[in-house]
Amino acid sequence: MGEAVCAAAHPSKSLCARSQPEDSLPQAPLRARTTPPASQQADGAECPPRALPPIPSGVKDDILLSHPKKKRSRSKNLRASASSEGLAEPVLHRPSEGNEPPTAALKEDSEAPVQRRQKKPRPPLERETSFTQKKTSSPSLLQNENGINVDPAEEAVTQKPRRKARKTKQAQLQYANELGVEDEDIITDEQRVPEQQCRFTAPTGISQPVGKVFVEKSRRFQAADRSELIKTTENIDVTVDMKPSWTTRDVALSVHRAFRMIGLFSHGFLAGCAVWNVVVIYALAGEQPLNVSNLLQQYKTLAYPFQSLLYLLLALSTVSAFDRIDFAKTSVAIRNIFALDPTALASFLYFTALILSLSQQMTSDRIHLYTPANSSLWAAGIEEQILQPWIVVNLVVALLVGLSWLFLSYRPGMDLSEELMFFCDVEEYPDKGIKASS
Amino acid sequence: MLQTSSYSLVLALQFLLLTYDLFVNAFSELLRMAPVIQLVLFIIQDIAVLFNTIIVFLMFFSTFVFQAGLVSLLFRKFKGTIILTAVYLALSIALHVWVMNLRWKNSQSFVWTNGLQALFVLQRLAAVLYCYFYKRTALRLGDPRFHRDSLWLRKEFLQGSR
Repeated sequence: MGEAVCAAAHPSKSLCARSQPEDSLPQAPLRARTTPPASQQADGAECPPRALPPIPSGVKDDILLSHPKKKRSRSKNLRASASSEGLAEPVLHRPSEGNEPPTAALKEDSEAPVQRRQKKPRPPLERETSFTQKKTSSPSLLQNENGINVDPAEEAVTQKPRRKARKTKQAQLQYANELGVEDEDIITDEQRVPEQQCRFTAPTGISQPVGKVFVEKSRRFQAADRSELIKTTENIDVTVDMKPSWTTRDVALSVHRAFRMIGLFSHGFLAGCAVWNVVVIYALAGEQPLNVSNLLQQYKTLAYPFQSLLYLLLALSTVSAFDRIDFAKTSVAIRNIFALDPTALASFLYFTALILSLSQQMTSDRIHLYTPANSSLWAAGIEEQILQPWIVVNLVVALLVGLSWLFLSYRPGMDLSEELMFFCDVEEYPDKGIKASS
Repeated sequence: MLQTSSYSLVLALQFLLLTYDLFVNAFSELLRMAPVIQLVLFIIQDIAVLFNTIIVFLMFFSTFVFQAGLVSLLFRKFKGTIILTAVYLALSIALHVWVMNLRWKNSQSFVWTNGLQALFVLQRLAAVLYCYFYKRTALRLGDPRFHRDSLWLRKEFLQGSR
């Protein structure tokens, strides 16, 4: 239905184009572009049919014999330029099929195989557009090249700006292409808006490229100048390129390093706390025989808080030490322990200290709940029996964490996790590898 | 592809939950003025472990490796974390139930038996291992190799299929 309307709309255009005075004929195709689409049948009601200017039959033969090659190359160039730029050619001129001179029809027949070969699969509308455009170009070319209405100077004038426009186009990056309009297609003259609208035609939407680009800003489309938009997009691209890339890997690495710092602090703090704890215990217990009641009375408020703190610091230190030897890779970790690697030994000692410390939880709770009157928990005579191993275990824990701290401080920069987790496949991250080595 | 901002947010949440877990493990014995305090602390701790498990699984699902169907590869890489998290959650729930059952009447009573002591030590050791493995997994999942096709992934797949 729509196609029929389009086909009917062509003749009036071609008629309008050809009804111009002869001296203005070379410009006919240009005018035909701007004239509105109108059906011939509808024109029949309002515009009386106009006669076509006669074309001599000899000219037809000339056209058929001498010019198909040139025309083909011209059309080919047009299409090539359009396809290379990825632009959809706007529907500008729609020549008639019925009112076209027989020469054009014949020519089309002769060119049909070539065109079919050149045609690429396209959406139907686009195909129709290119087809009709070819047809419009043919009569104008014919007329020009046959010398009927040719003004060579004018032809040169019409072709020169096009070349110029192409040169400028190439210079203007591909942004213009992305915006989808050729400069020469933009209509700046408001008066060229079609005046003759035929009443009985189906409304065919006229889509003409304009110099403005409509950009959606806060749910509204606002007109913006193309050149300005190109500038802004260039600026955005530059800022995006300049932006440093902060990847998830970098986030993970920074968190890992932050935790290593916390671990480093906890190693020293734990060693100090453990030593202080042993000193306090021995100070309160005194020489042999142990002053058990004094120790229990003084130490009962400290026992559980210290036990809790010890667990917290031991847990942090153990995790940190495991990180350093990459404990998850068990084979590497075990090999390092057997090789008496100081960091591996330190993590082993931390884990042993953790087990020993946890095993004293029951005793710590017993000390925490100590009251002189509570004989069920602290029966007379068993205090020393319970406290002696507890003191020894605390001493051993203090020694273990102290030794671990010394071992770790022997090679404080060692971190196998970072090497194995983050920089194991350096060939995949050449830039990261360089950073790591530096 | 995993966004840096969302990864940072998820990582912060994971570390927050881990920190809470460590804090409760360290100081829950100290904060037993009333049994209900310990009960609330334990419930939140177990939920935190469960949340962390859900988060890590969601992170697995969002990886390219998982979406490509190489679930076995992911499991092979992180089976330690998955198993340890499950064991730790089971040990935690068991210890919490046992301790609360013994201390519900009187929170200041001495309730320790050899069995409870053994469970306590096991749970606390598992907590440290869980913390280490979970932290490592969370950081490793930030590696872009898990979120795109790469030579490394193909190599790993070939090694796994052999």
